Order: sequence, then C-alpha cells, then structure tokens
Amino acid sequence: MKIIVTILSLFVATTINAQTSYEKGMTKAFELWENKTPDEAINLFERIARAEKENWLPFYYAAQVHVVTTFGIKDAEEIESRLKKAQDFINEAKTFSKNNAEILIMEAMLNTAYVVYNPSVYGMTHSAKVEELYQKAKVLDPENPRAMLYHAEWKIGGAKYWGKDPKAFCSEIEKAILYFEKESNNDIPFYPKWGMNQIERVQQNCK
Amino acid sequence: MKLTLTFAFVLILLSADAQTTISGKVADPSGNPIQGANVYLDGTYDGSSSDENGVFSFSSSETGLQTLKVSFLSFETYSLQKEVTEMGALNIKLREDVNSLGSVVLNAGTFSAGDNSKASVLNPLDIVTTAGAAGDYIGAFQTLPGTSNVAEDGRLFVRGGDASEANVYIDGLRVFQPFNATANNIPTRGRFSPFLFKGTNFSTGGYSAEYGDALSSVLLLNTIDEPNLEKTDVSFISVGLGVGNTQKWKKNSLSINAFYINLKPYQEIISQRVDWIKPFESLSGEAVYRHKFNKGLLKIYGGLNYTDLQLIQEDIDVPEGVNFGLKNRNLYLNTSYKGALGNDWTIASGTSFANDDNDVNIINTDIENRENSFHFKIKLRKRFSNRFKLNFGIEQFINSFSEKGTASDFETFKTSYNNNSTAAFTETNIFFSKKLALQIGVRGVHNVLLNDTKISPRASLAYKTASKSQISLAYGDFYQAPQQEVLKYDTTLDPQRSSHYILNYLYQNNGRTFRAEGYYKSYDRLVKFNTETPEFNSLYDNNGKGYATGLDIFWRDNKSIKNLEYWASYSYLDTERDYRNYPNKATPNFAANHNLSLVTKYWIDNWKSLLSTTYNFASGRPYNDPNAGVFQNKKTRTFNSLDVSWAYLISQQKILYLSVSNILDFDNTFNYQYTNTPDSNGNFARRPIKPNADQFIIVGFFWTISDDKTDNQLDNL
Repeated sequence: MKIIVTILSLFVATTINAQTSYEKGMTKAFELWENKTPDEAINLFERIARAEKENWLPFYYAAQVHVVTTFGIKDAEEIESRLKKAQDFINEAKTFSKNNAEILIMEAMLNTAYVVYNPSVYGMTHSAKVEELYQKAKVLDPENPRAMLYHAEWKIGGAKYWGKDPKAFCSEIEKAILYFEKESNNDIPFYPKWGMNQIERVQQNCK
Repeated sequence: MKLTLTFAFVLILLSADAQTTISGKVADPSGNPIQGANVYLDGTYDGSSSDENGVFSFSSSETGLQTLKVSFLSFETYSLQKEVTEMGALNIKLREDVNSLGSVVLNAGTFSAGDNSKASVLNPLDIVTTAGAAGDYIGAFQTLPGTSNVAEDGRLFVRGGDASEANVYIDGLRVFQPFNATANNIPTRGRFSPFLFKGTNFSTGGYSAEYGDALSSVLLLNTIDEPNLEKTDVSFISVGLGVGNTQKWKKNSLSINAFYINLKPYQEIISQRVDWIKPFESLSGEAVYRHKFNKGLLKIYGGLNYTDLQLIQEDIDVPEGVNFGLKNRNLYLNTSYKGALGNDWTIASGTSFANDDNDVNIINTDIENRENSFHFKIKLRKRFSNRFKLNFGIEQFINSFSEKGTASDFETFKTSYNNNSTAAFTETNIFFSKKLALQIGVRGVHNVLLNDTKISPRASLAYKTASKSQISLAYGDFYQAPQQEVLKYDTTLDPQRSSHYILNYLYQNNGRTFRAEGYYKSYDRLVKFNTETPEFNSLYDNNGKGYATGLDIFWRDNKSIKNLEYWASYSYLDTERDYRNYPNKATPNFAANHNLSLVTKYWIDNWKSLLSTTYNFASGRPYNDPNAGVFQNKKTRTFNSLDVSWAYLISQQKILYLSVSNILDFDNTFNYQYTNTPDSNGNFARRPIKPNADQFIIVGFFWTISDDKTDNQLDNL
C-alpha cells in the first residue's frame, strides 16, 4: 500500500512538474523581457505557443513584446517587419480565443504603433481601426481597465492635437482605476493584468 | 528494502530523461551568422536563441525522431527531422522569405497605391488629396509619368495611346463605361466615388495575362473589404451635394452614397466659353454590400447614374453653333467572391453587368443607343510554395449594342451588333531567390463577332541590384477589338495589336522613391477609315500602324522636409501613328513630347490645414493646319496649369475645402478647328479649342457623423 502511495505521489509530482514547465517558461520569458532581451523573450513565447498548441496567451505576449519594442526604434524596415510579425501572432491568438477583449486591445495598440511610426501614411486608415477596436473591446468586456485607460489615452492624444481640452477624458482614467481595483483575480495563470502602473503617466494630462 | 528498490527504480525512470545537447550554427544564404533566430524542438519547450555568432546550444530530454525548427524574421522557417542524438554541430542555412520586405517586386509598367504593396508609390490618401483632381480618382493618376495631359478630355491617355486604349476594372471585373457621359471638349470624370476603394494598380504597360482587350493600359481598382466603422458623411459643395452612410452588422456591411451635381448656379456666376442651354446635371447613387464567410468574402456593388446636359457647341463651319443635348443613364452591377478552398488553393470569381442608355440630340438628329455588357470571370490560384504560384482562369464577355437615328430630313437608320468573346489565361510566378523573380503568362481570346482567335504572351522579370534598388523587364502582346463607333458599321475587321517592351529601374529608400522606365511600343492592325469620322458608308481597313517610345521618370520624397510630401513626374514621348483618317504617319493631337507634373502636399499643423498644389506642364501639342502642306505639322503653345487646394479641418469631423484650378490663369489652347472649305483667298480660317472655363473654383464643406468622432472625409477630397 505504502509503495503504491509513494509511486502515486511521485507520479503526481512529475505531472505537476510537467504542468509547471509552462509556468516556468512563461516566467522565464517575462524575465528575459525585463532584462532587455526582447527578442529572446519573443522567441521563448513563440516556442511556448507552438508547444502549447491551443493557448492564446503566449502568442498575445509575443505580439506585445514586438509592439512595445517598436516604440523604441527608428529603422522603418525593422518597425514594419516587427509590426507585421505582431499582427501574425495576434491572428494566431485569435484562432484560439474568439471575441477576446484583451486581444482586441493589443491589436488596437499595434495599430497605434503604426500611427505613431508613420502618421502621414497610416494616420487616416489606422486611426479609425484603433477606435473601432477599443469600442469592440469595451462591448465585450465593459469593465476592462486596459480598454478604459488606453482608449482614454488615445482620445486625450486626439484632443490635444485638435486643441481641445484633454481633461474631458480624465473621468475615464478614474473609471480605469476603479476597474483595476475591481479586476477579478482570474484563475488563469498569466492572464493579462498589466497597465496599472501606467495610470500616473496618463494622468499627467489631467494636471 | 522493497521501498528503497522501488524508489531507485522510479528514480532511474525519471532520470531516463537523459539530456541530449542540441547545437549548431545558423547562417543566411551567403554564410553570415544570424543572431536571434528561434531554434526549438517542435512541440516541446526545449529551445534557445542563436547568439551573435549564430551559435545555439540547448539540452533536451526528448528522444528518438524529433523535428527541429528554426525561425527568424524575414526568413522562411527551417525544419529538420532527425534523431535527437544526431542533432549536434548542425549547420543551418535559412532561406530568405520572398514575401518579406526587401524582396524583389515584379513592377515593370505598374504604379501601385495601397498600404500593403511593397512597390507602392502612392498611398490611398494621395489619390484624393491631389490638387486639381477635385475628388476624381482619375485626376491623381494623370500626375503620374506615362500619361499625357489632355485636360479637355479627362480620361487617361497612356504612352501615345488614346483614351479608348485604357480599361478600368473593379475587383478584377471589367467596368464598361467608367466615365461620365459628356460632350466634346467638356472634361469627364470617373463615375465612382473614391471612398469605395482601398488600393489601386495603374499599369502603363506590360500588364498581366489576366487582363486583355486594352492596347495601352489597365487601371485596377479594389473596393474596401471591411469598412472601419459606422458613419454618415454629408458634403455640401458649390456645385452639388452628397450623402453617404455605412452600416455594419454581424458579418455584413453596407455602404450607400448619393451625389447630386448641378453646374447651373456656378455657371451663372462664372462666365463660360460654352453657351449652356441646360447645364450639366447629374444624379448618382452607389451601394456596396459585403458579407464575410468563414473562408471568403462576397461583395456586391451597384451604381446608377443619370446625366443630363444641353449646350451650343462652337463650330467654325456653323456660325450659330451646334445644338448638342445628351441624356445618359448608366447602371453598373458587380458581384465578386474571393475565398480559400483549402490546400493553398484560392478562388476569385464574379460577374459584372452594365446597361448604358444614351439619348443624344445633335441639331435636328436624334440618336438613341443602348448597350448591355456582361463579364464573367473565374480564376483559381494555387500556391505551391512562397516561391511558386500558379494562376489560371476563364472569362466570358457578352456585349450587345443597338442604335437608332432619326433625322427630320432623312430616313431612320438602325445599327446593332453582338460582340461576344471568350478568353482563358494562365500565369505563373516564380521567385528564384529574394533577388530574382519571374512572371510568365499567356492569354488566348476568341472573338465571335470578328471570328478571330489570338494568343498573347506576357512576361516580366525583376532583379534586385542592391538592397534598395532593382531593375525589371517586361514584354507583352496586347489585342483590342475595334471600338463601338466602328463596330456598329463594320464587323469584318481584325483586333488591333500592340507589343510592349519595358525596362524599369526602381530605387526606394525610407520615404524616397526614384523610378525610371524606358519603353518601346509598336502598334499594328490599327483601324483606318476614309471619312473624317466613322460613318455607315466609310471604307474601313486594318492597315494602320505606329509606334511610341519614351522615358518616364518619377521622384517622390516624403522625408527631406518636415510635413511636406511631394512628387515629380516627367515623361518624354516620341510617337507617330497612321490610323483613323490620317493620310500618313503623324503624331496625334493628344501626344505632347514632354509632360511634367509637380505635386506637393504640405500639412500646416498650427492651422490644421492641408495645402496641396499641382503644377502641370506639357509641351506644344501637334495640330493640323490645312494651309500648311504637311499633315499634323504645327504645334500649339505649351500648356501650363497651377492648381491649388486647401483643406481646413475645423474640427476632427468637419472640413472646409477650397480648390482653385489654374490659379495663375494661364491661357491654354488644346487644338485648332479649321473651316472645311477655304475662303476666297484660299485660306482656311480657324478657331482655337480652349478650356470651357479657364479656372474652376470649388468650395465645400464635409461633415462626418460617427460615434467615435474621429473619422473624417479627408480621404475623399
């Protein structure tokens, strides 16, 4: 009996090990990103995504790292190819999770990156896309703090450009804070929770 | 003891996860190491990235046959199946992804406008923010090299070809009457509103085997797949008003728009050279419905246009002028489906239908004609790999025309014909590497009316000479049936023929584009007749021929000056042809030797204004002076025009627009009309053919109403 228990517990231990290799990998990937090796992070996220098969999260993060990375570079060809790759990852994420507000928010950020990088070419076409994606995300998940915050930031940018009062959207930042606080602790590991630390930056516009 | 044994056994089992080291080096085709490639065993967590020397190494507990994958931006993903134990010291060469940025493009003869085309020289906004174009998408193409400035016509004259040699396609399907009906010397406009289109390909020669029945050029317009958002557009302009609405639901979307133009109030204020009895009035409506299927997209487009005008046309032989009236009704329907069939097969299929009805009144003669045209196409495409793709398809055209003329002092005459043809085409794209690509195609057409079959080969080749530049070559044979004006009197003729030889150089670097294209085009079997215009008793033959050769230069720069985008086009054209009623080879009136356009767009941030200017220059155009001994031997003065437009964004969704053509009031003459008979001194008197008004002024207000309050109509101006 004892033996059986021991063996069983060992098996359980090993299966837990197998399960956590996903968590280990994801944690490692985030570390790589923090350690300023975004490409290694992307590679690891992509490897995890390919091994996991039906999990949208690693694709989502691979896309995020590409998008965020473009904000710090100047080379047009590199920006274009990163954004193109990010869109591929988002498309793959979408095949595993349809009508997912988080993926739409990431896609909105991707389109924002296009506008930031080349407003004269992408301004008109992609701005409308950004707007539509945030609206869709808000319909799917009305209390999503990231949708609320980044949509507000997008609109503040527009208002500033048009010489209007950006403070009109400050109440939306307040709402975002509320949603961040209320954000349910999702059981799914590595479910997107980021963004709260950006509030202060966005709130600069309200002073 | 037993317990210990079991432990040991289990431990051995666990450690049978013996680690194998997988290592090697990743390089590009020329052997340079690739840093940052993603190397992993497919389906596992085991992998790593290659270092700055291209070297990678990782361990895995996997055993047996495994698949190693290596992926990197702008390279094809590499895949290797092997025993894990044999995966040591691998030498991996990645192949360049020919679909990535920086690959060679098959672009000879073509100008693309769109986000996603690598050879794009214009972006979608350009088509509509070009000064002088006044919202007509054709206007922007007239600033590209290879076109001749023929301001009194409004259509496209490409490389020594006349306007009938250029065809327009929407979503791969023929548009039979792409331009509004109009009178002589009153410039026409494209029938379609520019906001329906997302991408455009304008080919000035050497185009794909998919397209036929055009000697010089094809303009390919693609409608928007999915509108961005629901909105209502309202526009008030000095010559009319328009309204548009877009709705989206589930997998469907519907856009409708209507436009009414009436030039009467405008022409009462600003004097015109033409004596209008009933100024140009037009009502048009368009609708596009789109439905997304899981693996495809269906689009249905419908447009209805009604035009009415009447004027007295000046004529040197008719002192009181020629009374010309026109009523035109045009219906156009276009249905297309594009989708994936699985296994890398895709299908593109559709039909287009046009019904065109004209009621023309010239002095006492009343002419009514009606034309029904139908086009069906099915095209299949197989992608064998990124490097090898095959297209093939068939097309059917059905066209019937009938005309009835009634003159008070003459009996009624009737003509009609059915012009049907069947075509098949196939084309293959081969990328030998990221540097060298080839496209070869062939098209066969059987025309029932002319009882004639023609096979035309097409080929183009592109080679990347350096990272930012490439050269390409194109060759093709093109056939076109005679036009309606001739076919209605004679259906025994042959198709006319041209051959294109094109050499193109393209340099693109971060917002700057330089493009130079030299070409030679030969024409033969052109239609000739022995009267001034085609008539029922004229004698027709196919003995005409000619050539056109020239050099087109294009330079675009979006980078050097902040907020300024500009492009410059220059075309040199040398052409002569013997066609229509020409006594010998000569340069036609529409073909000036030198054409130059300079387009600028300057965004003034503080004023929220887009200031656009377009300067057009053309050297003198040939005309025929019967007082001179030689046919078509004289030249008009040079043509100059500076067009300016100013779009002011009052707020994000309200735009005030002002456009003035020929702001410097250049006095332009296009041609001369001479009397049919000489006066008593043996001289032929003449009158100049000039623009109907030297300047044209448009004031407009454009308002977009949408939930998000960010979209506007700047892209329609």
